[in-house]
Amino acid sequence: MNELQMFNICKSFDEVTVLNGVNFHVKQGEVHALLGMNGAGKSTLMKILAGDFPPDDGTIMIDGKQCTFSSPLDAKKAGIGLVAQEVDTALFPALSVCENIIANEIVETKTSPFLSWNKQKQRAKELLRQVGLKIDVNKLVHECSLHEKQLILLAKVLSSSAKYIILDEPTAPLSTAETKTLFQIIQQLKAKGVSFIYISHKLGEIKEICDRVTILRDGKVVHNSPISDITIDEMIEHMLGRTYQSAKKEKRTLNETIAFEVKNLLIPKTKTTVNLQIRKGEIVGIAGLVGAGKTELAHSLFGLEKTSGQWWINGKKYTISSPIEAIEAGISYIPEERRKQGLFMNESVQKNLTVRLLSSLTNFQWIYSQKEEKMALSLIQTLKIRPSLPKITVKHLSGGNQQKVVIGKWLNTNSEVFIFDEPTKGIDVNAKTEIFSIIQSLAKQGKAILYLTNEFQELLDIADTIHVMVDGELVKTFSAEEATHEKLVYYSSGGETLWHKLPS
Amino acid sequence: MAQTAVLTKEKKQKVSLLQILYKHGTLLAILAVITYFSIMIEQFFTYENFSDILRSISIVTLVAIGITFSLIVDGFDLSVGSTVSLSTIASAAALVLYRQEILVTLLVPILLGIVIGLLNSLLIVKLKLPDLLATLAMMYIINGIQLTYTKGFSIYNDMPLPEGGIAPGKFIPSFLFIGQGEWLGIPFSVLLMLFLVFVSHLFLTYTKPGRLFYMTGENREAARLSGIPVNRYRTYAYVISGLFAAIAGIVLASRIGTGQVSAGAPLLMDGVAAAFIGVSVFGIGKPNVIGTLFGSILIGVLLNGLTMMNVPYYAQDIIKGGILIGALALSHIQKK
Repeated sequence: MNELQMFNICKSFDEVTVLNGVNFHVKQGEVHALLGMNGAGKSTLMKILAGDFPPDDGTIMIDGKQCTFSSPLDAKKAGIGLVAQEVDTALFPALSVCENIIANEIVETKTSPFLSWNKQKQRAKELLRQVGLKIDVNKLVHECSLHEKQLILLAKVLSSSAKYIILDEPTAPLSTAETKTLFQIIQQLKAKGVSFIYISHKLGEIKEICDRVTILRDGKVVHNSPISDITIDEMIEHMLGRTYQSAKKEKRTLNETIAFEVKNLLIPKTKTTVNLQIRKGEIVGIAGLVGAGKTELAHSLFGLEKTSGQWWINGKKYTISSPIEAIEAGISYIPEERRKQGLFMNESVQKNLTVRLLSSLTNFQWIYSQKEEKMALSLIQTLKIRPSLPKITVKHLSGGNQQKVVIGKWLNTNSEVFIFDEPTKGIDVNAKTEIFSIIQSLAKQGKAILYLTNEFQELLDIADTIHVMVDGELVKTFSAEEATHEKLVYYSSGGETLWHKLPS
Repeated sequence: MAQTAVLTKEKKQKVSLLQILYKHGTLLAILAVITYFSIMIEQFFTYENFSDILRSISIVTLVAIGITFSLIVDGFDLSVGSTVSLSTIASAAALVLYRQEILVTLLVPILLGIVIGLLNSLLIVKLKLPDLLATLAMMYIINGIQLTYTKGFSIYNDMPLPEGGIAPGKFIPSFLFIGQGEWLGIPFSVLLMLFLVFVSHLFLTYTKPGRLFYMTGENREAARLSGIPVNRYRTYAYVISGLFAAIAGIVLASRIGTGQVSAGAPLLMDGVAAAFIGVSVFGIGKPNVIGTLFGSILIGVLLNGLTMMNVPYYAQDIIKGGILIGALALSHIQKK
């Protein structure tokens, strides 16, 4: 019987029970979705399966044989492959594509210490063909795009003849076209009898590619069925344990005053220029696929890139060449990589929240700790950060609450312009709603909001004006009423450029 | 289910005992070392000996505070030992060779320390060289400078000059007071050390620049995006490091009353060990000045006791290295 079975898996960390008697089965040649909110236990279950740590209780059977994994190597040998969300952590950036793909084989080969590079390259090419990637095997991995890296990792996993492959948020960094390619590859491998465990927040994709779905909530399986037996709304219901209401957009009449304007802003990477206007209290969305230049635009606006242009904030002209100047002009930036760029992970929530506010909390540079705590507590309440303890270390918070801390850092400052770069990346539906309401209340206060994302639905939910960005240029503008998901997808995947090329 | 519950409970107790050990391991080690020496050595637990230990600690602590600042901004300064040597020679030269009074004698080494700090930050912050290698190179350069200047000879009262005659100046009493004097029965150098520890602690814990030093070290990228002038703070840290090393050199010169060449070299290891022991004290997991003080107390007590037990100085290096590894391991476990 060819099946991966996990029976009654239990796992606790300290006192917290993360998994409580989970049963999880994956048949051969099946794409099995594993769903759950952040903290439902998905990652823990997958880490147990990948041999990162053993379960407290429960058994794993692969193809009818009981397995105990005491290391990731054991799991690999048993046929488990992991394509991690952060592909960079699993690859050697300074080595070639070929060397990366056959790394497992080099490690495992015990016969000869000598390598035949011709043979290895042949082997690597063969594996790359299987994942549909046409790329020079001598290219260094750090020169590859994210999508290529992901497929290289998949090829690497295949090289150790993995039968059960875990895909953790595989499409998060991918464009629509790349996602399509990935799905084709999954279908091909599936036909060869490879099984996939598919973890994603994008439910539409799951509907499209998966055969079965298992939904976890609070460390327990709450649903298991073929994908055809469940609708997306039902999935959300199972994940949340209640019905999800998408953020209701209020009809607002906007002030006509321009709060923020940038003229001829150069995006260094694509050598394009951008002009942008945001009215007082307006939420302007930038829709663009991964690689469209959204982050580069945000970085240029915030003075992180060597660039040129004119900034106008509430009628005053600025030139900005560093974050310090940008902040002084009244711009706040909530970066895409919150752990790397937004947070001091080993410091308390309080210290993170007050880092921009210290001037107002000090007298002759001396920090009034009571005043500071009061300020932190009020921010924690405004943002509904949980747990509401100012002294807790940020690394102990969930992703959504961490994101609130990043936003909170800018709240009581003199900021007039807020740039949000993919603010909902990797956070659950609940936290997303809360982040949205924070953004909306900022808009109500008359701030200018720029919201950059590749999750177009979010822009349809929240933005007043949506610009579509392609290759560092704003190619199309929609008002909230005009915009539809289809239009955004069409223009962001280069539809307009194609249109121009057609003979008129 | 019940079994699992029992299991978790047992595990939890074990963990908390270990945690206490991790958290207070360094303090326990200091107590254990003092107790051991007090039992083994008759003259160890005496006022004279403790005042002696504190005197010797005072110099190491000053060096270690400087290192602590560089660690806080996630940097490292290997050049402090050589800076101490240069500062010792500079103050001795000012007194003995140039017959200067106290003000110039103090200013010259302090300015040298600041210049070295600026040079270090030029290499590390502006030219973006790796801190360890840049300060390693600086360590050799500074050491070479003080050796070249003195041609390898120490500077002392009434020393014969190469061009004939004897040196015009001498170590003046006001200078000697820094390292040898007492105030209310407490050595002045100890008071100076305690004062500087206290001030640095308040500065780092309760002031805005202190906070921003820590933020810069914790996540430089996030700090930059939060509008903290990270390069300025990193520069400050290296300058402070050089400054403290210079002060340590002055105290050292005053203590021994001569300008010994390369006198600061052994202080590098002691200072680094003290600062890293400091990271592990109280389980804070971050470089901090109070911890650093405890670190240098541990090292001072150990060296004093070992010397009294006639362990030769060259063998003491083995123990110093061992302690550093222990402290690093402890703070590493704490971080987990």
